[in-house]
Amino acid sequence: MHIAVCIKYIPDPEAAFSMFSIDEQAKKVIPASGLKHVVSPFDEQAIEAALRVREQHAGTRITVITLGNELSRNALKHGLAMGADDGVLLADAAFEDGDAYTTAITLAAALKKLGAIDLVLTGRQAADGDTGVVGAGIGELLNLPVLTFAKSIAVDGKAVRVERVLDDGGEIVEADLPAVVTVSNEIGAPRAASLRETMRAARKPVVVWNASDLGLEANAVGAAGSRAVRECVFAPSKSVQCEIIEASSPEAQGAQLAQRLREARVL
Amino acid sequence: MARPEIEGDWVMGWPDRKRAAISAGKDSQGRVINGRCPVTQLEGLLTPTDAYYVVNQLEVPEPMHPDDWVLQIGGLVDRPIALTLKDLMKFPGRTVRAVTECAGNDAGFFDYVQKGGKKPSRINQQDMNARAAMREKNAVPSTEEISNESTTTCAVSAGEFTGVPLAEVLKKVGLKNNAQSVRFQGFDRGQPDLAVQYRSVGRSDFKLVDPGVINYEKGMPMAKAMHPDTLLAWSMNGEWLTHIHGAPVRVVTPGWSGNWWVKWLEQIEVLDHIPQCYYQHHYFTYGEGPDDPKKEMITSMGVRCIILNPLDEDSPLERGSHKIQGRAWSGMGMIKRVEVSTDGGKTWADAHLEEPVERWLWVRWSLLWEVDKPGAYQIMARATDETGRVQPQIPWNYQRKHFDGIVPTDVTVV
Repeated sequence: MHIAVCIKYIPDPEAAFSMFSIDEQAKKVIPASGLKHVVSPFDEQAIEAALRVREQHAGTRITVITLGNELSRNALKHGLAMGADDGVLLADAAFEDGDAYTTAITLAAALKKLGAIDLVLTGRQAADGDTGVVGAGIGELLNLPVLTFAKSIAVDGKAVRVERVLDDGGEIVEADLPAVVTVSNEIGAPRAASLRETMRAARKPVVVWNASDLGLEANAVGAAGSRAVRECVFAPSKSVQCEIIEASSPEAQGAQLAQRLREARVL
Repeated sequence: MARPEIEGDWVMGWPDRKRAAISAGKDSQGRVINGRCPVTQLEGLLTPTDAYYVVNQLEVPEPMHPDDWVLQIGGLVDRPIALTLKDLMKFPGRTVRAVTECAGNDAGFFDYVQKGGKKPSRINQQDMNARAAMREKNAVPSTEEISNESTTTCAVSAGEFTGVPLAEVLKKVGLKNNAQSVRFQGFDRGQPDLAVQYRSVGRSDFKLVDPGVINYEKGMPMAKAMHPDTLLAWSMNGEWLTHIHGAPVRVVTPGWSGNWWVKWLEQIEVLDHIPQCYYQHHYFTYGEGPDDPKKEMITSMGVRCIILNPLDEDSPLERGSHKIQGRAWSGMGMIKRVEVSTDGGKTWADAHLEEPVERWLWVRWSLLWEVDKPGAYQIMARATDETGRVQPQIPWNYQRKHFDGIVPTDVTVV
């Protein structure tokens, strides 16, 4: 079996807002120089899901794929250190500033080029853009069934069985392979890379493909091919109001505080 | 929570004296790729691993887990073999304490001793981070830039290495009758850092041979390979060899300069000739100039003696007693004698050699100097080894390798 895991290298989502600046003219969010980047946490859990499938199916090959600049190699290194077998870096100036649609187009083309993939895993959404549609887009473009928000994945013969997370519970669904599954955080903590695998990771094969390698026209990807238009980027304005509750006794103050909190739907 | 002091270090939770550390250059990922040893700050005989100098000719390779490491041994042997680290460690072990010295250490003193001019310093170190940044860009300094840089000093350290004698391994595989040399190959790979070679020569206005992408390799004559102290080592200073020093296994070649101590060993090939490896045919050679057709590969270091106290930087000194001290070592054998002169070489007195005096290790020497007359003094020291060699032994050569001249300390007494 061959599993491909699509991952994204993003600014640390735990970083304080003050670590970013906004270029309103370019409509971009600019991370501070030197800000730590990480594999998007949901994507890291997708790698974990792939590794768990492999534990049940010996001989499974896991390929990690990322779209980004040279720095995104670090995302691949991380996936390889966790235990993936090989990596694909999709790097081209033409890929820059794309949207979810062009990301899906590019990843789908890479998956097609890889050939004979049984299972495509992605995080449920990237922790920076939070669009949550790239996985579905890949499925649409490759004409594959898409199962979203997986908290567990089991491969049985030619089918994949997924337990999905819903707002009010869960459901179990099944699809024939090949299929696309997006992974949710309920799948559990990703494993830490061992020293040995970290050392091995540097020697695992990583190929770099550009738009031409994927047979994509430069105007079909990146900013040129995007369908979403970013109208403006701004920092949310914050206003703080403070009300001092006064009353004749502490009990009365407490009662009034409770009333206010109920009105504000905090309680 | 304990916080670092300005003058000291916190060691295991306790405030302590400041520890000597290398002057390191790091790559863009913060990993050390070169470093100079704080020779003037060292006590004892062994250099702490974290203070050991680091020089690499090619890219530092990614680490290899010891359980994944395999050493291939082939060529003119009866039984080619592949050894894991566990296999290697089953051979009878041996520990050797030895000086490791870069062939280009103190190269700048060649010019200073011969022509005078600006004196290199063992305190004012090179900007190793600038060198590391230049290396990442594969940049080559101009001759003018080289002349403005501090020259290479402090590329010398001493350590204790544990491993197996190469001779034991070669006996196991059986040498053919026509075996003449042993070629070591490391898994470090890349294009030679031309800046290193230009700095060695002191100018960059000539063309170097470009071998393309190569593995680091050296072809050692059989006599040295079979010496019982030539080791395949997996341990340094009582702990596992660290990656930057060549883990899992490196070659230890006591007495010969650092370029022979092949790091990250992956292959041994027995040959019937001395191979024309890039790093012994084009670089690490003695010769008159880049076009000298009679270049010779360098092997054994000369006889070395350095003064670590007082330094030029300690001047002026007060009248009274001062301990003149330093270290001496030789590439061919044990140090037998160190002499000190305080009058610019007119008269010499024997210094005290502090025990232990070992064959491959440096020896601490000292002489108490009583001085009551103000004035300028030139302090000199020279060593003699057990083979009778007195420094200097190595003549000037265009790559300025194996400097072993006498470098005076110039001080004023007030």
